[in-house]
Amino acid sequence: MSARADLEARLRAVGEERYHHRHPFNLRMHAGELSAEEIRAWARNRYYYQTRIPKKDSTILAKDGTDTEFRREWIGRIHDHDGEKPGEGGLELWLELASATGCDRDEVESLRFVLPGVREACDAYVEFVESHDLFDSVASSLTEMFAGDIMKVRIAAFEAHYPWVAAEGLRYFQSRTSQAPRDAAFGLSWVLDHADSPEDAARCVAALERKCEILWSLLDAVEAAARRPELVPHAEVRNDSAEDRTLVVLPERAVALNESARELLDLCDGEKSADALALEIAHRHPDAKTAYPDAHDFIAHMERAGVLACAASATAG
Amino acid sequence: MDTPRPLNLIAELTYRCPLRCGYCSNPLDWASVRDGLDSDAWGRVMHEAAALGAIHVGLTGGEPTLRPDLREIVAHAAAANLYPHLVTAGTLIEPAGLDPLIEAGLRSVQLSIQDSDPAASDAMAGTESFERKLAFARAVRARGLPILLNVVVHRGNVDRVDAIIALARELDVERLELANVQYYGWALLNREALLPSRAQLERARLRVEAARAESARPEILIAIPDYHRERPKPCMGGWGQKMLLVDPSGRVLPCHAAADLPGLEFWRFGERSLAECWGEAPGMNAFRGEDWMQEPCRSCSERARDHGGCRCQAFALLGDAAATDPACGLAPDRSAILAARDAAEGDGIRPIRHRATSAS
Repeated sequence: MSARADLEARLRAVGEERYHHRHPFNLRMHAGELSAEEIRAWARNRYYYQTRIPKKDSTILAKDGTDTEFRREWIGRIHDHDGEKPGEGGLELWLELASATGCDRDEVESLRFVLPGVREACDAYVEFVESHDLFDSVASSLTEMFAGDIMKVRIAAFEAHYPWVAAEGLRYFQSRTSQAPRDAAFGLSWVLDHADSPEDAARCVAALERKCEILWSLLDAVEAAARRPELVPHAEVRNDSAEDRTLVVLPERAVALNESARELLDLCDGEKSADALALEIAHRHPDAKTAYPDAHDFIAHMERAGVLACAASATAG
Repeated sequence: MDTPRPLNLIAELTYRCPLRCGYCSNPLDWASVRDGLDSDAWGRVMHEAAALGAIHVGLTGGEPTLRPDLREIVAHAAAANLYPHLVTAGTLIEPAGLDPLIEAGLRSVQLSIQDSDPAASDAMAGTESFERKLAFARAVRARGLPILLNVVVHRGNVDRVDAIIALARELDVERLELANVQYYGWALLNREALLPSRAQLERARLRVEAARAESARPEILIAIPDYHRERPKPCMGGWGQKMLLVDPSGRVLPCHAAADLPGLEFWRFGERSLAECWGEAPGMNAFRGEDWMQEPCRSCSERARDHGGCRCQAFALLGDAAATDPACGLAPDRSAILAARDAAEGDGIRPIRHRATSAS
C-alpha cells in the first residue's frame, strides 16, 4: 500500500473507532430513546459548537502556508456557516432546528445556557487550531469525512422517532449531507498531498484523534446534564444559626452553603435533571448572568463533595 | 480572645478494647483511666457541646461498643442535634444489635480493618477478628448507613493497597481512609516497625491514583505522613480550635495525646461545665493562638496554616511541647525525624509490640 493510501486508511480507522457516531448519547438519539428535554439540551448546546466553526475557519485562513487556491476553497466554509445574507447559512439553519425542538431561539442565540463542559470542549477546538500550524489544523477538520453518514442516520432517526420536530427543522442536517463530503474531500486530499513523512502522518492521525476526543467530550457534557441529582440519604441539612448559613452535615464533614446554593439544593428532587435545575435557577435570576453555568458547576462540586448523588437520565436504560 | 467554636466532639467512651493493635494512639497508661461518665453525664456533654456549636460527635474509644449504655448515649447525641458517628472495630455487635442504635439516631459508622489479608489483619489486631468485621460491615450496609472504612497503613500492609481498595469496593463503603499511623502512645514505641519507606508510600500513592481514575467510589483518602514531608500537619486544625475531646474519665482535651504533656492542667467535665473546661482550662489555652510560638514559627509565613505542627510530637521527640514540630523542614532540630526516616528505608518487615495493660 502506498504511504498515501495507508494514511487515508489510518484516518478512516480513527473515525470508525473514535468519531462520536459511537457515543452513547448519539446511539440513544438515533435509536429514538432521548426525551424531548434531552433533544433540546443537545440542540441548544451544540449551537455553541456551530458558532465556533467560523472562528476556527477564520483562524485557519490567517495561517502561514495558505495560498490563493486554498483560501478560495476554505472561505466557502465560512459562507456556508454564516450565509451570504441574514436568514441564510448553517448557523441560521441550526437556530431553526433548535426552535423546531422547542427551544427559545433568542435564548439559544444568547449562548447564556451553554454547559460548562460544552464550552470547554468547543473552546479547546478553537485553541487547538490557534496553537497548531496549518497542517494539524486542516487534519483536525477531517471529522467531516464521517459527518455525511451521521447526518443521514440522524435525518432518518428524527423522521422516525421525533416526529414532533417539524421537518423544516431538519434542513441543517440535509445541507450538511452534501457540504461535509465536499469539504472533507478537499481537506483529505490537501492533507495527503502535504504529508511528506511518517512523522507528518503521525501528526495528522493525532490531530484527528484530538478532534474526535473534543466532539466526544461535548456529548459527555450534554449526556451528564440529564443526570438527576438528589441529596444523599445520610445528609442532614440544617441552619447553622451561629454563623448564619446552611450546613449539609455528612459523616465527619459538613459543607457550608450560601443562600443561592441552598435554593438550588432545595430543588434537587432526584427527578429533575441537572440541566432543568440550572435553567430554572437561571430563569428565576435573570440578572445573574452566569447563573446557568454556575448552577452546573455547583451540582458537579456537590457531587464530588458527596452531598448530591445522581441517577442517570430517566431515559437511559 | 474569643473562645473558638468546637465543631467536632470526640467522645472517648472507654479505653477498653478487645483489640491489641501495635499502632494504638491511646495513652500507654490507658488501663488506669476508668470509665468515669455514665450515659446521663455523656448526655450533658452532648448538649453542652451542641450549645458551644458542635455539629458532629464521634463515639469512639477504645471500643465504644463495650459500653452497655451505648444506645442511650447515641440517643442523647441525637437529642442534642449532633450527628452521631460510631468509630468501632466492629467485632462485638451482632447485626441485630445495630438496629436499636440506628433507631436511637446513629447516622454513620467508621469501621477499622487492619489489613486486606485475614491472617495479617488478625495478627495486627492481636485477636481473630477479620471475618467478624466483614460481617459487621455487611450488616451496616444492609441497613443503609454509610461506612467510612479506616485502614491504618504501615510498612507491613502498605504494599497491599490494591487488595485493600478491592475489599473496600466489595464492602461498598462510602469512603476509604488509608490512614497514617499517628506516632503517639503505643505507635511511637513501634515506630521502626510501622513507618513505611518513602518508596512504599510512593507506590501506594500511584495505586490510589489509578483506583480513583477507575471509579469515583469509594472516595479514597491517602496522605503522605509528616515523617516524610517538609511541612508539619496542621494538627487538629489548631490546638483547642475545632476538636473537643472528652476522655473516658471526663477530662476535656484538645486531642488524643495531650494528656501526656507534663505540666498542663486540664479540667474534668462534671467538676465544671463543658464551656469552662473548653474555654478556660489552662491546658486548653496553653497553645491557643500564636503567643506561645518560638522561632522559627513566630515569624513564619506558614504559621496560620500549620499552627507550628503538633505539640504532642514536639514534646515526644524533643521534650519541649512549645518547640517547632520537628516534622517541619524549618525546625532547628530534625534529628529524630530524619533518623526515623533513614531507619524506614528498605522493605523489611519488623516485629510489632502489641498494646497491653502496661508498657513496662
